[in-house]
Amino acid sequence: MIEPGAIDCHIHPTAAQGGPPAACADELLPFADRMGIALMGTSLGPTFWRRPTREQITADNDFNAELIARHPDRFFGYANLNPNDLRFSLDEIERRVADGPFVGLKLWVAMCCDHPNVDAICERAAELGAPILQHTFFRAGGNLPGESSPDDLAALAARQREVTFIAAHAGLNWERGIRAVLGQPNILVDTCGFDPELGYTEMAVAWLGAERVVYGSDATGRSFASQLAKVYGADIDDDAKALILHGNMRRVLDL
Amino acid sequence: MTDTAIIDCNANLGNWPFRRTGYNTPDALLERLARVDIDRAWVTLLDAVMLKNVGAANPWLAEMVAGYEQLMPVGSVNPTWPAWERDLAECVDLGFRGVRVNPNYHGWTLADPIFGELLAAAGEAGMFVEVALHMTDERHHHPLVMVPPVAVDGLLDACAAHPNVAIVLANVKNAPASQLARDADGELPGNLYFELSHFESVGGVQALAGELGVERILFGTHAPYYYPESSVLKVFEECDFSEPELAAITHQNAERLLASLQAGGSQP
Ligand SMILES: [Zn+2]
Repeated sequence: MIEPGAIDCHIHPTAAQGGPPAACADELLPFADRMGIALMGTSLGPTFWRRPTREQITADNDFNAELIARHPDRFFGYANLNPNDLRFSLDEIERRVADGPFVGLKLWVAMCCDHPNVDAICERAAELGAPILQHTFFRAGGNLPGESSPDDLAALAARQREVTFIAAHAGLNWERGIRAVLGQPNILVDTCGFDPELGYTEMAVAWLGAERVVYGSDATGRSFASQLAKVYGADIDDDAKALILHGNMRRVLDL
Repeated sequence: MTDTAIIDCNANLGNWPFRRTGYNTPDALLERLARVDIDRAWVTLLDAVMLKNVGAANPWLAEMVAGYEQLMPVGSVNPTWPAWERDLAECVDLGFRGVRVNPNYHGWTLADPIFGELLAAAGEAGMFVEVALHMTDERHHHPLVMVPPVAVDGLLDACAAHPNVAIVLANVKNAPASQLARDADGELPGNLYFELSHFESVGGVQALAGELGVERILFGTHAPYYYPESSVLKVFEECDFSEPELAAITHQNAERLLASLQAGGSQP
């Protein structure tokens, strides 16, 4: 069943907790190999900080930079930012993306993405051709302070049409999330970080087109396998599966 | 994919009120599971969870699976309603081997005395009891039906008080499973089983099998709410189990559980 060559657009370096990047890679790569994952997009760090300080941002991005330096053929990176600290965010984009080796940006829950600070970040991302991996939830009972919904991302993406966004988790409440991003062709949805609920990928492909769906796992908190099931198990054709597993990310990353 | 016969200990028929899943009739479910080489399944009726008169689900399920040897029905009981013993007896009459409970949807906890009463009655009847810790991700529940997961507090005491009743935790995630292993200090009761459809993290099934004991793990998919490929890929591809471990997880543990059932108390 496993086909080699998949690109996992969404992992975190949480393997080998407490260990250095080398230990993280050593623990993670054998599983990735077994699951046919050729390349993984890493972001955040061994610990998740809801409102990271400059020191935490630096440590996270240093950790992933070392992971990428050790295994440039297996990892690519999204630089972690806290848009509340716009000056530092813009500097970090220069240090990490403009100067390399990071290719994209990760925005988690520090600030809702429908905010002028994020527009400033997007303008530089557009110049650099850096995709933005944006956490999106429609959380039952209401989102966390600073947590973005697919509606927020759709509003941002309508203003920032030159940027490619990946709506992580498709809003979690994906039947609503897919609808919310429908009108913004520069938003893709990933498959990651929620239960392997049958019907997700079928709806995403039917509504958005296979070109707008990308495989991601949210490893190591999630397994590669449970999230790959959303692709391998979906009632979609093989061409669509190939786009989701690697074709679309090759386009986004210009590989 | 494998030569190992697989019993899916956690499949479902019928309808879940908040999503149309498909593959929810006996023929459609069996065809869908056959795609991943599963040809036998224990099935509950999803409709049972939100029925007020939960017991009405049991003859309904029996009728649905009649003639399908590959499907083993698991009944549903709400022990907070009067005369729930009659529902349990009906499950026995219908030939069911076990009953599922959904304490969070029915307003009780595993620390309540009613759980002990249910276990005693199920033991007398030679039935196993399955506790579904939750049904769907709480983070996207319907805004008017937000149901927290079942807490496992009291479970180990109940297991100890009813050592001859097989108890299955279905839809159990990593955190409560690990918590129980820690609480039991490496001595989990022999009558407690864990169904693996909700085990997560990279290599998570293997790590949890180490904590819980391979002999307590039951293969389950939570299909058709979940893609059945999830459990198959987790167990056969992502993890690196030995053949004897795979045999235990995929069918031998389930077969041992069923073989242990006998009226007057099972012998796990
Ligand atoms: Zn993530």
